[in-house]
Amino acid sequence: MTTDALVSSATPRYAMDLSIWTVLKWIVAICVAIVAVFPIVWMVNVVFAEPGIPVSINPRLLPTSFGAGIAKINTILSETGYLHAYYISITYSLLTIAGVLIIGSMAAFEFALFEFPGKRPTFAVVMLSLMVPTAVTLIPTYLLTASFGWLNTMQGLVVPGLASAFGLFMLIQFMRTIPREMIEAARLDGASHFQIYRHIALPMSRNALVTLAIITFMQTWGNFIWPLIVAPSPQMYTVGQVVGLFNAPFSHVTVDIVMAANLLAALPPLIFFLLFQRKIVEGIAMSGSKG
Amino acid sequence: MFDKKHIPHLLMVFPFLALFAVFFLYPIASGFVYSFYDWNATTTSRFVGLANYQRIIHSRDFSKAMWNLGTYIVITVPVGIAAAFCLALLVDSFKGFWQNFFRGIFFMPVVLPMFLAATIWRWIYTPNIGLLNTIRGLFGLPSVQFLNDTSTMLYSLIAVDVWVSAGFNMVIILAGMKNIPKDYYEAARLDGASKLQEIVYITIPMLYPVLFFVTTYGVISALQVFDKPWLLTGSSFSQYGGRQNALLFPVMDMMGRGFGELKFGQAAAYGFILTIVIVAVTAVMFALRKKGSQP
Repeated sequence: MTTDALVSSATPRYAMDLSIWTVLKWIVAICVAIVAVFPIVWMVNVVFAEPGIPVSINPRLLPTSFGAGIAKINTILSETGYLHAYYISITYSLLTIAGVLIIGSMAAFEFALFEFPGKRPTFAVVMLSLMVPTAVTLIPTYLLTASFGWLNTMQGLVVPGLASAFGLFMLIQFMRTIPREMIEAARLDGASHFQIYRHIALPMSRNALVTLAIITFMQTWGNFIWPLIVAPSPQMYTVGQVVGLFNAPFSHVTVDIVMAANLLAALPPLIFFLLFQRKIVEGIAMSGSKG
Repeated sequence: MFDKKHIPHLLMVFPFLALFAVFFLYPIASGFVYSFYDWNATTTSRFVGLANYQRIIHSRDFSKAMWNLGTYIVITVPVGIAAAFCLALLVDSFKGFWQNFFRGIFFMPVVLPMFLAATIWRWIYTPNIGLLNTIRGLFGLPSVQFLNDTSTMLYSLIAVDVWVSAGFNMVIILAGMKNIPKDYYEAARLDGASKLQEIVYITIPMLYPVLFFVTTYGVISALQVFDKPWLLTGSSFSQYGGRQNALLFPVMDMMGRGFGELKFGQAAAYGFILTIVIVAVTAVMFALRKKGSQP
């Protein structure tokens, strides 16, 4: 009330200032938005442009030929192993998501709500591992995976990434808020330990599980270094590796074909983002402010 | 101490802990052992003590990579966070739909996988036909070899990095801003504080923990930078680092020794040297934080 009164009493000058600031604010925001989006728009424009026109010489705002873009995408899908790479990347992502969620939620359930021997020291070690840079474990984990004979296999891609300390931490934070009374009540009703996990803990942490699934998807889809070393055979190329190959300095491909390949790789995360914008942003904000 | 009633609990944590032990604890321990051996996957290994560590530290690639890394971090982290902070203020000043709209747009680069951001920018930087040089051409400026001229290479990488990370940090800072009680601003406004004074005396001090987190996280991930310079400079084990190694970074150097030259002992030692550096840098940051936060 008091602030409202203050503002209205000072209306003439204040309103002037306000409008200048508002205009300036909008100009800056639109400029930043252009910088943020332009490379992506440029990629789309390069793909959906008439073939033969030197695309980058004339950066334009709108695509010129829808058909040409579809033709380029067709070329890539039919003449390269791109579809297979897509299949590998999707399988890799889905299996990782499933594994991280199941294994992580089971462990988080115990860590958050129960006592068992060795709980505190193990928890401390797992949390400490969040501090350890991936660079140290990379080479030895590769050597271990190789000694299992898992090079160029799906289990080689997926299994080493399943024990996600970050995922466990996130789920524990969430499951701590589950009221103990609910668990006690379920136990009195004769529910088994597993049933409590399955029918109380999982449904109640649905939000956290969805957020973790989305973050895990973004991470696996964007994972470059692990597939690069553990699955070097073309049979197991992920989308990231194919994009990397297209980009190699002496590969004889034109910019529009490369960008078509890039666009295909960008589609799943972009679609995910448009669908789950709020969850993704909240998940990152949450992992950030609590970390 | 041990009781039958613990069995269901242990069964539930077992999968996680088993995988964690096999794919995290064991690799660290075995890597530590490898780092003392001359081991290249084909010949039999030979214990060499600290020779791997010495060879790395005295190599010219290592000093070059460390120098690049230092310069890169000193520029990219402050610039990136300052940009993210300004973006957060900007987005926060919008209301309702437009706030969500601009937050989403500014966040867009984060959504792209890193390998894609790097490849798109690689083409934007291409000499003559690339987007940036085309735009320079419109103003009559000469073409620049952004990724092949040692004076521009690092800045080209930093631009990509800020482009990607600003949106990520913005989201975290924005969440922190939302947690600052509105009463502070109202009180300040009643006292006649300007917008700038509000930012300097309320927003920044209240955001201190968030800014500290973003800085620490930014430094730790910058210390391990790999995909971007790797893809910007050739993306193969025979060609990386760019002209005169101007974009060579420690993790790239490690990967090159391991998978390019098959010297896995040296690569393992490299991982531990990096860890020591990362732990030391983090410890210094935490020490500085304690000092700073005490009045």
